[in-house]
Amino acid sequence: MTAPLEAAEPAAAQAAGPAGDDRPARHGVLRYALTKAGGALLSIAMVIIATFFLFRLLPGDPVRNLAQGRNMTPEQLDLERRRLGLDKPLTDQFFDFVGQTLRLDLGTSYEYKRPVLDLIGERLGPTLLLAGVGLFIAVSLGLWQGTRAGWRPGSRFDRFSTATSLVLWSVPTFWLGLLLLMVFGAWLKIFPSRGIESVDAPDGFGYVLDVAWHMVLPCLTLVGVVYAQYLLVMRSSLLDEVGQDYINTARAKGMRDDEVRRRHAVPNALLPTVTLVFMRIGFVVGGAVTVETVFSWPGLGKLFYDAISVPDFTLMQGTFMLITVAVIVMNTLADVVYHILDPRVRSA
Amino acid sequence: MRKWFARLAVMGVALLVVGQGQVALAQDPAAGKKIVRVGATQAVDSMNPFLAVRLVSTSIHRWMYGFLTVPDHKTLKPSPDLAESWSSSDDGLTWTFKIRTAKWSDGQPITAEDAAWTFNKIMTDDAAKTANGPAVENFESVTANGQDLVIKLKNPQASILENPIPIMPKHVWEKVTNIADFSGDQYPAVTSGPYIAVEHKKDQYVKLKANPDYWRGAPKIDELQVVFYENPAASIIGLKNGEIDLIGRLNPPEYESLKGDPNIVQWNQQGRRAAYLQINHGATTTDDKEVGDGHPALKDQKVRQALHHAIDKDRLVAEVQNGLAKPAHGSIVPPMYTDFFWEATGDTKVSYDPAKANQILDDAGYKKGPDGVRTMPDGDRKLEFRFSIHTDTPIEDKLAEYLTGFFKEIGVTLTTKKLDSSKFTEETGVTGLFDIAISGWSVNPDPEEVLATHLCSRRPTPSGEGGGTESFYCDETFEKLYQEQLKELDRPKRAELIKQMQERLYTDAPVIAIYYTNDLEGYRKDRIKSITSVPEQDGILYGASSFWPFYSLEAVESSAESEEGGSSAATLIAILVGGAVALGVGGYFLLRRRKSVADDRE
Repeated sequence: MTAPLEAAEPAAAQAAGPAGDDRPARHGVLRYALTKAGGALLSIAMVIIATFFLFRLLPGDPVRNLAQGRNMTPEQLDLERRRLGLDKPLTDQFFDFVGQTLRLDLGTSYEYKRPVLDLIGERLGPTLLLAGVGLFIAVSLGLWQGTRAGWRPGSRFDRFSTATSLVLWSVPTFWLGLLLLMVFGAWLKIFPSRGIESVDAPDGFGYVLDVAWHMVLPCLTLVGVVYAQYLLVMRSSLLDEVGQDYINTARAKGMRDDEVRRRHAVPNALLPTVTLVFMRIGFVVGGAVTVETVFSWPGLGKLFYDAISVPDFTLMQGTFMLITVAVIVMNTLADVVYHILDPRVRSA
Repeated sequence: MRKWFARLAVMGVALLVVGQGQVALAQDPAAGKKIVRVGATQAVDSMNPFLAVRLVSTSIHRWMYGFLTVPDHKTLKPSPDLAESWSSSDDGLTWTFKIRTAKWSDGQPITAEDAAWTFNKIMTDDAAKTANGPAVENFESVTANGQDLVIKLKNPQASILENPIPIMPKHVWEKVTNIADFSGDQYPAVTSGPYIAVEHKKDQYVKLKANPDYWRGAPKIDELQVVFYENPAASIIGLKNGEIDLIGRLNPPEYESLKGDPNIVQWNQQGRRAAYLQINHGATTTDDKEVGDGHPALKDQKVRQALHHAIDKDRLVAEVQNGLAKPAHGSIVPPMYTDFFWEATGDTKVSYDPAKANQILDDAGYKKGPDGVRTMPDGDRKLEFRFSIHTDTPIEDKLAEYLTGFFKEIGVTLTTKKLDSSKFTEETGVTGLFDIAISGWSVNPDPEEVLATHLCSRRPTPSGEGGGTESFYCDETFEKLYQEQLKELDRPKRAELIKQMQERLYTDAPVIAIYYTNDLEGYRKDRIKSITSVPEQDGILYGASSFWPFYSLEAVESSAESEEGGSSAATLIAILVGGAVALGVGGYFLLRRRKSVADDRE
């Protein structure tokens, strides 16, 4: 009788702040977190090694590709190879790379001839802005619609929102972006066709508005394509809760429908969604290659994509490592947070 | 349902308000100025001319810096730029350039020292060789004496008058300690050309202001902006909605999508690019060892000749290129370069004639099998060739379809092999894992560079490092002619030699030119009053090896609608804030109503 209620209440209590009587549990969390962190470090080490060899498998000679379409003598190509250290044996290159990486030096990009860390630094801001805002809107929209839809499955709202999100989910990102560009850019002429800001952007508050104006279409595309996953996960996990005894109990207590949903059903249904959201936060760093390309957004995704065609080994290694490390860290965090949120995981 | 419509309507209105407001807002700082915005479908790789290789970067540098000589905008012949005159010694090894008296944009005088420093920097610093290393390869020494620049060559070189190196201000650039790590992002830049770069936002745009003290006279516009697009389709939209005023290097579908817009001029003139088929006629490395897996039949010049006869170039132009190209009856130098262009005539000309192609193959012993496919004379290997093209290039897919059809007529099977660009470059330029491949080259006013891509020395090394060959060609006649044209300082005589080289390529057919694609561009006539191409008749605007089009262009002043300036911006902000508040309040009430309805239902 009381067991289901406990499952709901502690989750909320834990999120707000640990209660006084769960010292052993906190200890457990710490140990759990440390184990997870160790695992994460191991994964990162493996990523560093894999990154190097994986990218060396790509076809193409960076020196020749960079020279393409230009007058380069064989002597000069040779010189370039020496300059980039590509003339050394692969094992030497590998140890150089590991040494550099441990010193947090990501090397110099072949194509841009600038430190990879600088290149990443310049593009991290726009990427976090676009992907972060996009993720926030997608999660809010998905959770809101998923909750409504899951609470009354089969209703007109459920059918409408689930169908819409699924259609958008199945649409290729590139195509949706271009469609929005054509309607709002070429036809209605109310949104810009590219970039993060106007060439003659005003200062101060005007600049903020200018960036917001440029962000509308890329954000819309990003949200349109991904929000379905939050909606569906939220909807199905809420569906699981709807038939549970503790919901009936809550209703029997005379709680309003809204309250039952908000205070009992949703906190429990949120658990799988939290994992999903944390995993996606990791990917935010990677940006959205397609959206960034369609809207010429100066972000990391585009940088990585461009690097592949050269192949610009140092730049690829740098961006790839950043993205994977972010994902690993966020996954680890998700594990830990889940552990805190859900007592069932903790006791297991 | 009505509520949904209402909400959507409110959203729509809000979007409209935000959009319109921002359009006007963004125009404010430009009010009353003559600004031209050029779209480019790549971003600047570096603003350091010693390192920059992308076309957008070298174009911008052409607008910023002077050169010894530049191609004349009418004739494309070398004409004075920072060097006002020049002379060469009798043996052609010593060249003296007289540098004109002019000033850098920071007021310092331009001297021969600047030029000498620039060339010497490239000759002595490996990192500085990145962009233009080969252009000084033949330089023995470069010295300055007042306004006289003396260049001593190792060997005679006629193309010295086409030197592609921008002259840099010594007093600014000698302070750069490590050229390899310098991005060149110092603004305002110190320049000697018509424009001064004043701002570069990475991956976004470069802003250039007119140089008021330019020695040819200041440009007729105030500002030139280069705006980068990662997505060509978006750049077309940008041109249509007026975010940019000009975009060059369009492909036929992009060009055709500009049709019908009353404000846009469609620019369709002859281009600088030759598209050709690269035939694996027996790929070898620099030590003459065979490399790759080319089909043995293609080693036979007769087979290559037959393939050439089987290609209906007129049809390719009409149906693959939508008529926006010229069929190639010459070789790798397009007709735009009238001095150097060679075209086959009479018996030399290989015209479309499948019957003749079949005849050639029959006579050479390539018999047709029962399935209609020919086999090698000395065995049963069929004439089945692979055609290597790039992924994601619809035009090449279409070309492959047509060629497959053409070759079927002569008993040759063609299968298409799609490769991503790095794999493509590797297989068709280093490892020789191809039979026939699509290729092309955008040719400079002096064709020496493209001719050099067919030299023996450009083949890959035995250790498998690519040297930049476009054909794996290694031919004694061709090499000899190449060396002769290097030494020939008389332009008409040199052109004659270069034509003979093209004829050799045409008849021996390591490459078969199929068409010369037109230069397709678009610009807004409500923004650009006049613009002159290079060459003046039937030429290129963006991407020409000349500063001229963007120096001589005239623009319409920015519209006066935003004359109120600040006050209009303030009104707009008020509208926006008002709109947002209204939206918030409306949304709140809508939600409240929903909530009460939901509660009522329980």
